[in-house]
Amino acid sequence: MSARLECRELTGGRGATVVFRDLELDVQAGTVLALLGPNGAGKSTLLLTLAGLLPARAGNVAIDGARLRNGNAVAASRAGVVLVPDNRSLFTTLSVEENLDVARRRNSPAPRELLDVFPALEKRWHLAAGALSGGEQQMLAMARALIQQPKVLLVDEMSMGLAPLVVETLFDTVRHIASDHGAAIVLVEQHVSLALGVADEAAVLNRGTVVLRGAADELRHDGQRIERAYFGDVDPAPAGSPG
Amino acid sequence: MDHVASLLLGLGNGGVFAALALALVITYRASGVVNFATGAQALYVAYTYAGLRRGELLVPIPGLPKRVDLGSELGFTLALVLSLVIAAALGALLYVLVFRPLRNAPPLAKAVASLGVLVVLQGVLAIRQGTLTVSVAAIFPTDRWELGSALVLADRFYLAVTIVGLALVLAAGFRFTRFGLVTRATAESPIGAYVSGVSPDRVALLNWMLSGVIAGLAGILIAPISPLTPVTYTLYVVPALAAAVVGRFQYLVPIVAAGIAIGMLQSEALTLAGRYDWLPQTGAFELVPLIVILVALVVVGAGMPVRGGLVRQRLGHAPRPRSLLLPTLLGAGVGLLALLATDGTWRGAVIGSFIAAVIGLSLVVVTGYAGQVSLAQLALAGTAAFTLSGLTEGWGVPFPWAPLLAALVATAIGVVVGLPALRLRGLTLGVVTLALAYAIEAAWFRNTDIVSSDGARVTPPELFGWDLGIGAGRAFPRIEFGLLCLGVLVAVAVGIAALRRSALGSAMLAVRANERSAAAVGVNVVRVKVLSFAIASFIAGLGGSLLAYRRGVVTFDSFTAIGGLALLSTAYLAGVTSVWGGINAGILASSGIVFIALDRWVDVGEWFQVISGVLLIATLIAHPEGIASGGHQIADRLARWRARRRATEPAVERPAVATATDRERPAVAAAERPVAAPAAEGPALHVDHLTVRYGGVVAVNAVSLRVEPGRIVGLIGPNGAGKTSVIDAITGFAPASGTIELAGQVIGALAPHARVRAGLGRTFQQLELYDDLSVEENVSVAAFGGRQADRRAAVARALENVGIAALGDRPAGELSQGERQLVSIARACVAEPSVLLLDEPAAGLDTQESGRLGERIRAIAASRTAVLLVDHDVALVLQVCDDVYVLDFGAVIAEGPPETIRANRAVADAYLGAMHDAEAVSA
Repeated sequence: MSARLECRELTGGRGATVVFRDLELDVQAGTVLALLGPNGAGKSTLLLTLAGLLPARAGNVAIDGARLRNGNAVAASRAGVVLVPDNRSLFTTLSVEENLDVARRRNSPAPRELLDVFPALEKRWHLAAGALSGGEQQMLAMARALIQQPKVLLVDEMSMGLAPLVVETLFDTVRHIASDHGAAIVLVEQHVSLALGVADEAAVLNRGTVVLRGAADELRHDGQRIERAYFGDVDPAPAGSPG
Repeated sequence: MDHVASLLLGLGNGGVFAALALALVITYRASGVVNFATGAQALYVAYTYAGLRRGELLVPIPGLPKRVDLGSELGFTLALVLSLVIAAALGALLYVLVFRPLRNAPPLAKAVASLGVLVVLQGVLAIRQGTLTVSVAAIFPTDRWELGSALVLADRFYLAVTIVGLALVLAAGFRFTRFGLVTRATAESPIGAYVSGVSPDRVALLNWMLSGVIAGLAGILIAPISPLTPVTYTLYVVPALAAAVVGRFQYLVPIVAAGIAIGMLQSEALTLAGRYDWLPQTGAFELVPLIVILVALVVVGAGMPVRGGLVRQRLGHAPRPRSLLLPTLLGAGVGLLALLATDGTWRGAVIGSFIAAVIGLSLVVVTGYAGQVSLAQLALAGTAAFTLSGLTEGWGVPFPWAPLLAALVATAIGVVVGLPALRLRGLTLGVVTLALAYAIEAAWFRNTDIVSSDGARVTPPELFGWDLGIGAGRAFPRIEFGLLCLGVLVAVAVGIAALRRSALGSAMLAVRANERSAAAVGVNVVRVKVLSFAIASFIAGLGGSLLAYRRGVVTFDSFTAIGGLALLSTAYLAGVTSVWGGINAGILASSGIVFIALDRWVDVGEWFQVISGVLLIATLIAHPEGIASGGHQIADRLARWRARRRATEPAVERPAVATATDRERPAVAAAERPVAAPAAEGPALHVDHLTVRYGGVVAVNAVSLRVEPGRIVGLIGPNGAGKTSVIDAITGFAPASGTIELAGQVIGALAPHARVRAGLGRTFQQLELYDDLSVEENVSVAAFGGRQADRRAAVARALENVGIAALGDRPAGELSQGERQLVSIARACVAEPSVLLLDEPAAGLDTQESGRLGERIRAIAASRTAVLLVDHDVALVLQVCDDVYVLDFGAVIAEGPPETIRANRAVADAYLGAMHDAEAVSA
């Protein structure tokens, strides 16, 4: 059986520059893949390409074995690929309820049902999304993705600029979305330990290629491998530094 | 009471302006198109309605019969419904055929395409319907109400009420229906729509249909009041645009109020002009939209919202001329041959092309280089032409002085026209300049108090007894006049090419590319904008004077506002970003060679206008940046090919600083550090309690830091910690509280470019290079003051210092990420700042490149520059810095020399979360 999300020899970039090359990536339904790597490694570009918002240069993306049309965001969305972009792209002038209404589909749950997952949004229900705190905005962005009942959920830098406590709550939610809804989740994250805590598998992307791939559990206890993948040959951590 | 009556009389027109403004705003919000053809759509539907009432269906397609007889006259309701269905279909057709293919094109390309649509619709109707006015039976009751002594026409009142009702229904629809919700969402964020599973294309299509219906309804309702003629209806778009600007292309109710107010004030202006002799007898009507816009700009003070998108929108590549001599000789030679080889009509066309090219070149300066959309260039040419008449006939000013003075008058007016540009950008500015052109045309060129009804005579030019005039009779057109025009064209073209290579030209492109980063390198944006309008207006004035000499008698129809729209379309299509594009515009212009050739050789007869409109649209879809863009690509490829053949050895970067191998580097760094740190005379940069708030979010919280001359201070922290906000606040790009001192001088109140001139230099995370400019030009934009030779030496030094001297001639857009980083550093250093702020200079570099970067930064600090370095590359920061501040959640969590920071748990935690807790357990 094919994986929920499959990338084969995927090459992509922005404008004239190729950002990642010949990428192979499988994510099973109900699992979370943490996509790690330093700034500029190509993580966000990869997510935009998977969501059809940027065209791939070569290779293909398949959902449950069915290939997506290249560079077609509407087709990707119909196939169940939903992106939560790093800037969230909320409709800041619309209320929380309206933001969810926009994304609602025929078989979607009612917007209010999302409050079970994100109870904090209850008291903001009729407020403009732009007036929410960073954490609440991120919850709304996740809720807006969830109401589309994604088969593949792509989450970009969820924790950016958020307080640690909020981030932990959000990560718990991600875990639930994977186990309860059976979505395959790709989580781009800078908070390495938190991401490894919630993920089943992890991949480190550096300079456009996957330099490290493994079970999240194992990598969690092997910080040096991650650090080497991140920082190249220079190790900033004092403990166990070979010199 | 008369005033009330005349104000109420304007309700009819006002209602139509309001409705067209609604249609404009709906298409703008849904697709980012400022649709100049809205009035033409209204006209088409009005004709269809008029036909249906007579029992005929209008068929626009050539070859088919002009109309289908439906057997019997249709009643009001049926005709209305059928016409509105056709209106919706027309809207859908326009979106699918024209504007959907252009959805990622620059906004200016979309606007120009709508001008093409305008030309096509107007042309089709003129051919299929004739230009005779058509009257339509009344729709509303035509009662007359006595209101005291005032007489009110009921139909006007009903019309306005209908439109207000329509606006309320629309506002409610956008507020309460799902369609309205999705439309509002898409207008705010197309990306948000995509990730919400909504197709912005479908939303745009439906809105185009809705907009078509509203425009059509406006056309139908006004038809009984204002008889149908192609030109009036089309021009309704000017007051409608004014109303839309008042509502910032966003708020429906203010837009409708403004539309109705414009109609009423116009009516009142006519009454007042009739009553008081001292008021201008013509033009008061056309001045109203302009005044309303200007008042709104002062009160509302903002342009239209910019639609977001993934594709960065640009005006097109503006290549730097590679050499001046050869193209000048070649171009002048070809022009001379064309004059010698032709006579009669053909020579007239050649001369027409020369003159149109001069006026086209004025657009190259203001729009192509400086990025300011001006629809007033033809009107400015007109002001010079009419002034020339006064100077020569009235005061007898002799030849070379009269046209130069006239051009100076145009310059003065042009600077005034350009003033709104200080507050507006892009197409909003275009709308304002259009309203200005429309007002100048009506209040001056058509004003029979100033210009006699048979035009303003101009004395033919003569120099030292040599007749340079165009002549008359068999001698027309004389070659001497052709030579004069060619001479002016060559001078202007060479001047503009030289401008493109000058510091001012680079500054113009910098302003066009990004006003923010232009200010960050010390460019005075206001000055550059005003200068570009002044230069362009002078050139337009020269062109207008030549046109006046060519005609002998100046009349308004050479310089209409609509003509100005056509000029911009032609110039944009021909390539508004280069000198050759400006000359192309002359060749393509309606008085030029191509026009005459088509007219002579291809017998398209009355369809000429329609075909040219269709060609315009088709060409735009194929080349959204104009046809010259293809030529630029070919020229670039040729140049690269020649460069490759010339280069026998590969163009390796020559490192400016003696390089140690990568392995030795840390040791060398440690040895050097103490030498580069004498801090006797106090800090170069001292920041105290700096706080930045965005809305309710505190991005930077009471940060204090100091950087001594010759030292490198690092600022690190995870994403979103507030590092860039600190740099933005120091350089004046983010509002902040707290004190910022540069060598003891408080700079917190200065504008960004003034801070740069006081000794700050910065780079941007996104680099913000000017991709069209060469590396050398990118850097020279930032070199201010002193003589040109000094500036050139400073640029060479800056390139040498960062090790990219070999890349000087390459366009910045072609370089690798690492090379681009170095260009941005050279640009920040060229003015020899006392404090240099580097925002993520190592982003996108590999380890080796970032090692080399570290050496260069140290070399810069060695010349007593204080450096603040923000970067994610912790290794780099720890290696090169003397001191490091660590930021998290906007506050400093650690501070000290690299060794201390390296050993600090909190830093590793900030980067990797609680990663190291797990590691500590397992270790």
